[in-house]
Amino acid sequence: MPKILSRRTFLMTGAALGGTALVAAVGGIGYLATVDVDGLHGGSVEGESATLNAFVVLHSDGSVVINVPRTEMGQGIHTGLAMVVAEEMDLPFDERIRVEFPTEAHPAYSTWFNVLQVRPEEASGPVVWVGRRVLGLLGFISTGASSSTMSLWHPMRVAGASARQMLIAAAAARLDVPSTELVTRDGFVLHESSGRSLFYGELAREAAALTPPADPVLKPAADWQVIGTRQARVDLPAKVRGTPIFGMDVTVPDMIYATIRHAPVFGARVLRIVNEAHVRALPGVLDVTIVNDSHVAVVGGSWWQAEQAAWQLEVEWAGTADDAISSADLSRGLRASLNVSEPYEVHAEGDAGAVIEANAASTIEAVYEVPFVAHACMEPINATVIVREDGSAEAWVPSQGPLNIRVGVGTGTGWAGIEPIAITCNVTMNGGAFGRRSDQDVIAQAAFLAARHRGRAVKLIWPREEDVSRGLFRSHAAARLRAALGPNGLPIAYDALGASQSIIQSVASRNLPFNPGPDGDRLTVEGLDKQHYAISARRVRSQNVPSHVPIGLWRSNGYSFNTFFTESFIDECALAADADPLAYRQAMLRDSPRHRAVLDRVAEMADWGAPMTPGRGRGIAIEECYRSVVAQVAEVTVAEDGAVKVDRIFCAVDVGLVINPDQVIAQMEGGALFGVTSAMMSEITVQNGSVMQTNFHDFPMQRLADAPEVIVEIVESDLPPGGAGEPGIVPTAAAIANAIFAATGRRLRSLPLAVTETIGERRTRSVLKS
Amino acid sequence: MVAFTVNNRPADVAVDPDKPLLWVLREDLQVLGPKYGCGVAQCGACRVLIDGVSTPSCMVPVGSIAGASVITVEGLADEDGSLSFVQRAWIEEQVPQCGFCQPGFLIAVTELLQQNPDPSDDEIDAAITNICRCGTYPRIRRAIHRAAELARD
Repeated sequence: MPKILSRRTFLMTGAALGGTALVAAVGGIGYLATVDVDGLHGGSVEGESATLNAFVVLHSDGSVVINVPRTEMGQGIHTGLAMVVAEEMDLPFDERIRVEFPTEAHPAYSTWFNVLQVRPEEASGPVVWVGRRVLGLLGFISTGASSSTMSLWHPMRVAGASARQMLIAAAAARLDVPSTELVTRDGFVLHESSGRSLFYGELAREAAALTPPADPVLKPAADWQVIGTRQARVDLPAKVRGTPIFGMDVTVPDMIYATIRHAPVFGARVLRIVNEAHVRALPGVLDVTIVNDSHVAVVGGSWWQAEQAAWQLEVEWAGTADDAISSADLSRGLRASLNVSEPYEVHAEGDAGAVIEANAASTIEAVYEVPFVAHACMEPINATVIVREDGSAEAWVPSQGPLNIRVGVGTGTGWAGIEPIAITCNVTMNGGAFGRRSDQDVIAQAAFLAARHRGRAVKLIWPREEDVSRGLFRSHAAARLRAALGPNGLPIAYDALGASQSIIQSVASRNLPFNPGPDGDRLTVEGLDKQHYAISARRVRSQNVPSHVPIGLWRSNGYSFNTFFTESFIDECALAADADPLAYRQAMLRDSPRHRAVLDRVAEMADWGAPMTPGRGRGIAIEECYRSVVAQVAEVTVAEDGAVKVDRIFCAVDVGLVINPDQVIAQMEGGALFGVTSAMMSEITVQNGSVMQTNFHDFPMQRLADAPEVIVEIVESDLPPGGAGEPGIVPTAAAIANAIFAATGRRLRSLPLAVTETIGERRTRSVLKS
Repeated sequence: MVAFTVNNRPADVAVDPDKPLLWVLREDLQVLGPKYGCGVAQCGACRVLIDGVSTPSCMVPVGSIAGASVITVEGLADEDGSLSFVQRAWIEEQVPQCGFCQPGFLIAVTELLQQNPDPSDDEIDAAITNICRCGTYPRIRRAIHRAAELARD
């Protein structure tokens, strides 16, 4: 399969190379060799707790802290990665295991997998050797791209196995027997021939003093008792008691609160705060200030008071070139760009353009479009930062990575002319993230305010209105797809031209010290190439269509729209070929047995082909993403008045090796429902340069009454783990659009597929656009 | 001064009577289970029981609840810490993902099952209008039925 150079990989590799040059200049390659990329060394004892390695801390009472340096934002990763350690250590997976996000940025925690795209278990060669050390030194720890299991399951297996062997060695010394006579079970080291046993807790301190084994032996898969079994999540007991600490819940003594107002038109600067004296005099207000020339913050002794005061702010914003822009203008720009010559060529096999030109009569062509959408994480955007009198800073943020916190705090304190001598980064529980919390915006703002109020922690919370209307968005996008069909109706050439604002360029402009530019931005074109379909001539091209709207990472990025485009289009090709959409895909997957198995499974689950009553329809879609393959069948009912309901979604997924099957299922359920909301309801529109939506009443979400049943099956796989956090959302919109076509004969080529009508308090219905 | 009880303990607060109960709970009483999600009674993350009635606390002025009994998610378990039927069902069905909205669901479902010990799917749809962005709805539905079973057995 031809490799498409990922722009993200490229830019991160660029960062790595830059960092390498720097490090080499300072300390040379010899210094890099000292970087502990495995985290197995440096055991220590402090009181009752014995640190065996960077991932495992054992206490004398037998309880264990497992360090999981990935953000828990709902995906169950703290449980999955703890299971891997428990498996290798022969620890019972029970309440004695506690998972923490470590504050230390140990090099072993680095998410170098995302940059180098090499699995840790397959890592070799000089580029990986240098890359993982440099990224480790940079503290590049990030939770995203559905990569947490792929990036850490092997390193944490090794850490667990190493800890187990250290415990055995400590027991061998204590019992004066060869370690080969010892086995481990349920948190004990056993000497079966003498019937003696030692509790892990009592061996912890001695084990921590030992040198870890150079190459710990991993447990063979045949002996696994935890991996692959349904385990209850470690974070749920607190979550049903209401006690977990989300960023919103962080409490620091003497803390003050802040709220913020961003410009209605993105990019507008503050000219002046018209009534600053009035707002400063309101109850509880401690400070009113312009942040980075662009926003206005109100600080108070209570967030509610600060927010009440902020509603009274009168701010004069500078005019911008975008003050008259509307969604219609942006849409016209996108569509016009599809006719501009010389787009960026992402990928080419054969001469798709020529084949299509030579087969004009059998060529299918269609244009699709999606709007901007918001993330709308349930936990509003927030950050808590303190800059202490001694010059140190500490931050508590629901963030997708501590490097974001570190850089964000540096940026914000820099606006105030302060450079902290040290920054402690605490990643809290995240109330949803979906890519939104990989941005540094709120962190820098909070740090600026903290620098103004030195010695007091400032908790900045964006009100929901700022999140929906002044935040970051999934890009609007369009595509023109063309395919020439051969004599048997199957495509002989495929040509995709995507038009969108580059995701990575917008993200980099806010979060990175350099910008790779838009061309070849993999995040924006992913899902257009359909490599798994056997087509001999294929071309993928892209057009960058900038706008003033800031784009953020958004659960599944380009796949969230491109798979809607492409899998709708495949149905259009099937229709032209007078073929069944399932059979058509099966024929195109003749060289892709893994995909074919997933497709066949979902068709079987949904009883594809069984007759449906009039007004009902069934649609199918499939995608490969994040090294997983996912297919869904949606069933819809469309009433005569156009009211549309998604009744059921069937989902089959091959995510490779499964650690915790129940949580893979949960991610597919949740992903599909996230996908239903975005397919049916979600639309951010722009008028006079500003977003028109403000809160959940006009940016609605599925509720229980609208939510379809989701039936998930995991397809057995002998591949290593793939990603699970994002695939669930990817095929949903296309499956629904295809189902609506089956039900009505109407091909809907833009999202959302329906208009949301309010029918009562917190009640809506979806009606097809007329 | 407004006096009421929170999870059966007396609470006296000297604040602006217009301050919403949600923010009194979170800022003045350090009861952090109820969450701010939207501020306009749309999402339900802030729901608490006020004299047994599930209510979005983000829009209830604290001055209006003098003498009332407020139960938050922290008050659903027994004094000895044992979980309520609803909480147990939530664990058994492994409902929460990010968990931020769940305090509001647990409150709303607690009231529903007090009113209607064995609700049908339609009755559940009518009663439970909270928002969950992670999409835990299929498990919520199963857990409501499970909680009804647990309460019966």
